[in-house]
Amino acid sequence: MSRISVKIAGASGQGINSIGEIAGKGLKRSGYCVFGYREYPSLIKGGHASYQLDASDERIRSTETKINVLVALNHHGLELNMEDLKENGIVIHMTPGWQFPERHQRLIRERSLQVIYFPVDDILSRLGARPVLANVLVTAFVWSMFDQDINALKSVVREKFAGKKALVELNMQCVDAGYSYADSQERKVTVALPAPDKEFSSHLLVTGSQAMGLGAMHAGVRLYAGYPMTPSSPLLSFIADRENETRMVVKQAEDEITAAHMVSGAMYMGTRALTATSGVGFDLMSEALSLNAMIENPAVFVLAQRPGPATGLPTWTAQGALLQAVHACHGEFTRCVLSVSNSQDAFDLMPVAFNLAEQYQVTVIVLTDKQIADALYTQEPYDLEKADIYRGKLVTDPGELQALTAADRYDPGAADGISPRWLPGSQAATYCAQGDEHDSTGAVDETGANNKAQTEKRMQKFRTLKAGLPEPCLCLAGNGKQGHSWMDDGDEIELLVIGWGSTGDAMQDVMCSQELRDRKIAYLHYTYLWPLCTEKLQNLAGRSKRIVLAEQNYQGQLGMLIKMECGLDIPDKILKYDGRPFFYDEVLSLLLEKVTGPATRSRVTGSAPAGQENPRDPGRPSS
Amino acid sequence: MKTTVRAGTVAVPEYYSETRCTWCDGCGNYGIWAAVKYALAGLGLHPWQVCLCYDVGCHGNGSDKIQGYRFHGLHGRVIPFAAGAKLANMKIPVIAFAGDGATFSEGVGHLVHALRSNYPITFVLHNNANYALTTGQATPLTWQGQPMNTSPNGIPERTLPSMDFIFSLEPTFVARGFSGDIKLMTRILKAAIQHRGFAFVEILQACPTYDHFATHEYLLDRYFDANADGHDPGDLQQAKTLAAQAQDRIACGILYQREDIPDFYERLIPRHGLETTCVEEVRKYDVSEYWKELV
Repeated sequence: MSRISVKIAGASGQGINSIGEIAGKGLKRSGYCVFGYREYPSLIKGGHASYQLDASDERIRSTETKINVLVALNHHGLELNMEDLKENGIVIHMTPGWQFPERHQRLIRERSLQVIYFPVDDILSRLGARPVLANVLVTAFVWSMFDQDINALKSVVREKFAGKKALVELNMQCVDAGYSYADSQERKVTVALPAPDKEFSSHLLVTGSQAMGLGAMHAGVRLYAGYPMTPSSPLLSFIADRENETRMVVKQAEDEITAAHMVSGAMYMGTRALTATSGVGFDLMSEALSLNAMIENPAVFVLAQRPGPATGLPTWTAQGALLQAVHACHGEFTRCVLSVSNSQDAFDLMPVAFNLAEQYQVTVIVLTDKQIADALYTQEPYDLEKADIYRGKLVTDPGELQALTAADRYDPGAADGISPRWLPGSQAATYCAQGDEHDSTGAVDETGANNKAQTEKRMQKFRTLKAGLPEPCLCLAGNGKQGHSWMDDGDEIELLVIGWGSTGDAMQDVMCSQELRDRKIAYLHYTYLWPLCTEKLQNLAGRSKRIVLAEQNYQGQLGMLIKMECGLDIPDKILKYDGRPFFYDEVLSLLLEKVTGPATRSRVTGSAPAGQENPRDPGRPSS
Repeated sequence: MKTTVRAGTVAVPEYYSETRCTWCDGCGNYGIWAAVKYALAGLGLHPWQVCLCYDVGCHGNGSDKIQGYRFHGLHGRVIPFAAGAKLANMKIPVIAFAGDGATFSEGVGHLVHALRSNYPITFVLHNNANYALTTGQATPLTWQGQPMNTSPNGIPERTLPSMDFIFSLEPTFVARGFSGDIKLMTRILKAAIQHRGFAFVEILQACPTYDHFATHEYLLDRYFDANADGHDPGDLQQAKTLAAQAQDRIACGILYQREDIPDFYERLIPRHGLETTCVEEVRKYDVSEYWKELV
């Protein structure tokens, strides 16, 4: 697989995103698989931001730390990103008279970098164009370096400014000027792209947030309530922007508590309603999670992760909220936690989440993260036949409704823990969705026998749900060449990697790499995280030489859950907690290190050795 | 979006529940409970046609003492739950009940936004001027200087001027009842349930166990039906004056109402011209039109 990467770097507000989006769409339409990755600070203007496009003729879904082309919109972009360039890389900058510091001059020599000064301001003033048009100018210049058809770029630009005729005209002039500037150079610098694969041209270019929004609409979500918080806000914006077409009820609530209760009320009434937030907002939503457990109300909450604690790093990524999703709230009850991994399952899992919520009458927490929310994926058009709507034991038939008694609603005798549910407005016996401990009708009942029976009913759903959830998926290095897998031969697994969420895509790209072609490495990807199925994992662990956990958090939270659920301890961990996602080249070298380095066997531990009694007075400062 | 009165009659006993009442003797909840049943039946609404949402407190313990699709939630949160329920199905009248503690402390933000949103729901404030279910602590509506559980010297805070606060948020319906007058409450509740937007109904409620200042007798001596005295609910200035005066005489009745302000749902442009509810619209959708611009 050949892949190239271009990074556009500069200040927030300089139009980095438009360059990334236009170039990304242009490349995708020309037949390349594009993966876009954004880094930006939590501010509106200024500060250092970047947009990286990785492109290939084969399917890719990750970012490299090293780049082929750097487009620096300001001198900070140069100062901060020169080190990222690969051998023979290209630097395009716009800073007149820029003197590279000694260390960068050395870098330019050592890595044989080509430096191109692109006089944006001169060209703009010659065209009488405003500074904002620098985006299109720069994009056109890069486009010519890729040796791509100018008309392909023009059609993307034309669409972007559709309806603004004067603006289109000026933009076209900028495209021409930027494109022809490269030709006017004595020594035209080009970046060789592999031959395109036209299949990609009909694909979508979507962020994970857009994918999730489309999935929610597909799943029959008719009401969305949310409070803005990165990285969940793009989902709210996407859904709100299309409200006139979807005709959904969209409410920007006064806080996350409101959003959570509004969607809970809407679900109680019988529609499908969604909310999304990040960690701090989820803290506020957790009381509603507990409430829904008691009234056995289906609900779906999206939890978009970013580094914490507190407001942490608002615009960066993390997988630190797994334990929060699994354990938030007082009381013991059944919930379901799953995580999307990319634009495919961000779409696919929305109908699944609502189906699970309604079938089991539980809250489903759908984890995503900033990386997935913001990354730009080349996505094949979604299969709209795949999903069905399942509403579980929802009674709507008039005859069946007539036969119901109030005591059916929370009947503790339901063998699977799931009792019939019917909606306000149904001509039937009425019940109370009771937040206090209640009997089968929803009337408050404080007797011990009832508390025990209803607790068992709610917890029975955990077993029922667990039995219905899929095991994690396996992805093999060097697999699929002749349709025959080394895994089927029963070979020892050299290295078993376990991960979840956005880790998966970087892992899958690495599994497809040439470097691992002859390695017996397997990646086990968890989508359904709670209840946690461990049978497949334990089977694989038994035939693995080494097991390593890969997560974007400090504690190895999935590892903690695995140990808690089946006793398998995985001491060997690749943990990343710097706000950045896993990068392709980084993961590749880490895995190569693991297979060549000394093995650390994973073990099933017995009870931990008893700790010595601590004679210290806790809280006393040590002198 | 008004609740239409149903044809045919509904008998009050349809709302009868087997669950035994647990309120104190003389509790104002008995009167409110009766008035709610009279109002719903009087509007021709069967229990299966209504959604009653309860906050936490002694009033919330009534959630299993009446028929209807009911919900009993968390402290201070009844408004957003009820609003979400209503927006999902505009065909069902939704009534939210809450005490003065939850409404003006933990849930005061929700009240503010409910008023400015003009959600098409009825909100019934059970105002007994204390947190009764947690054994008599002061709320923002407890009289200043009144010794209460956890404030033996009386509360240091000022009492919240609740009606001034409500009127500052430009309500479209404000009424006040007294738990000792079931007939008056019934009239108010019927009007509130039929109101176009957010109907704020305060019921001054006796709490014989913990409220030893605004007692049943105290309220009985002072309350009067302002509408019977000729008050026009369209008169905002007089409504504000009457609402804020609660010393010598306490004006009750429908203090203020305007029907010309669209409710929240009516203002949702995407919903214009739709006859269906969000509940009825749950199905699988073809979203390929929405991704065309992403290709």
